[in-house]
Amino acid sequence: MKSKSTYKIPNGKLLKIFLDYNEKNQLINNIKITGDFFAYPEEAIEKMENELKNTKLDKNILNEKIKNIIQENDIEFIGLNSEGLTNGILICLK
Amino acid sequence: MFKMKEKWRYLKTEDKTAYANMAIDRAVLVANSECKVSPTVRFFTWNPPAISIGYFQSLEDEVNLEMCKNIGVDYVRRITGGGAVYHESELTYSIVIPESHPQVPKNIMESYGRICGAVIKGLKNLGINSNYIPVNDIIADGKKISGNAQTRKLKTVLQHGTILTDVDVNKMFLLLKVPDEKIKDKLIADVKQRVTSIKHILGDDINFNETAKAMKAGFEEEFNVDLVEGQLTSYEKELAKRFEIEFFGSKQWNHRR
Repeated sequence: MKSKSTYKIPNGKLLKIFLDYNEKNQLINNIKITGDFFAYPEEAIEKMENELKNTKLDKNILNEKIKNIIQENDIEFIGLNSEGLTNGILICLK
Repeated sequence: MFKMKEKWRYLKTEDKTAYANMAIDRAVLVANSECKVSPTVRFFTWNPPAISIGYFQSLEDEVNLEMCKNIGVDYVRRITGGGAVYHESELTYSIVIPESHPQVPKNIMESYGRICGAVIKGLKNLGINSNYIPVNDIIADGKKISGNAQTRKLKTVLQHGTILTDVDVNKMFLLLKVPDEKIKDKLIADVKQRVTSIKHILGDDINFNETAKAMKAGFEEEFNVDLVEGQLTSYEKELAKRFEIEFFGSKQWNHRR
């Protein structure tokens, strides 16, 4: 199932998620995290997209996973954060 | 003891393509990271006019590619984050400097503010009062006059940004896609209220060299350096040519998201 969301991060930038997920088990097949935010280092976003594959579309699981990826890869976001990213992804389900 | 002012390199490159401009920025970054060139401030323009999109943006979601083709506007993905920008009547700057340089705050947010300080001083030299609005905007008269974007690679800071000399919001919206077509007219009206330019404020046209002169002095004041006019080295030209082919002029790079 393919879906897209546009979500303005509170006090942040405009996040646009392109999501391909399995409706039955609610796992992410593929995700593109796009928008006018900043992330350092930039290339870490592709890593994050890869690591989010097969993650369950559940608020807590997703948020924890994203926080871990941010920490492990030492990612600094400006105009985006883990909560905003989680919300943006879950809006794709609505 | 009297200390000589540090000398940085100053480049002016007018009328380059979007691909060449983005390739030059990256080439200067690489050359500076290898200690082959001094910290560099470059002022430039775009010919043909072009749209640049942020590193994380989806090209097809942001840009009306067919319209670009029809009216001869190029498009390119930047190595910096941030939003889509239409580059026509503007002076674009870029600054490349080692992360370890004492003039650059280690903190990314702070360093945006510091570099934007140079643009604000430059605008002041033209008689325009402006303010920095974190994270990456400069406003004058309550409206945006400059957008800025920074990346850090190879322990080197690259920040580039626009200083609008004039603005055509209608043309911009022909080329950029909007999230909701139904409210496009309202969006255009909003943006017209929120964006300004040197011409709007001063009531007169300003050319590239006049703007560059004021901005050059702004950078010199902010960083307490002398900007000495120079050229790209042959190494940088070679790198830029390679980056233009490998990245900025390639479909694979521009359409990657």
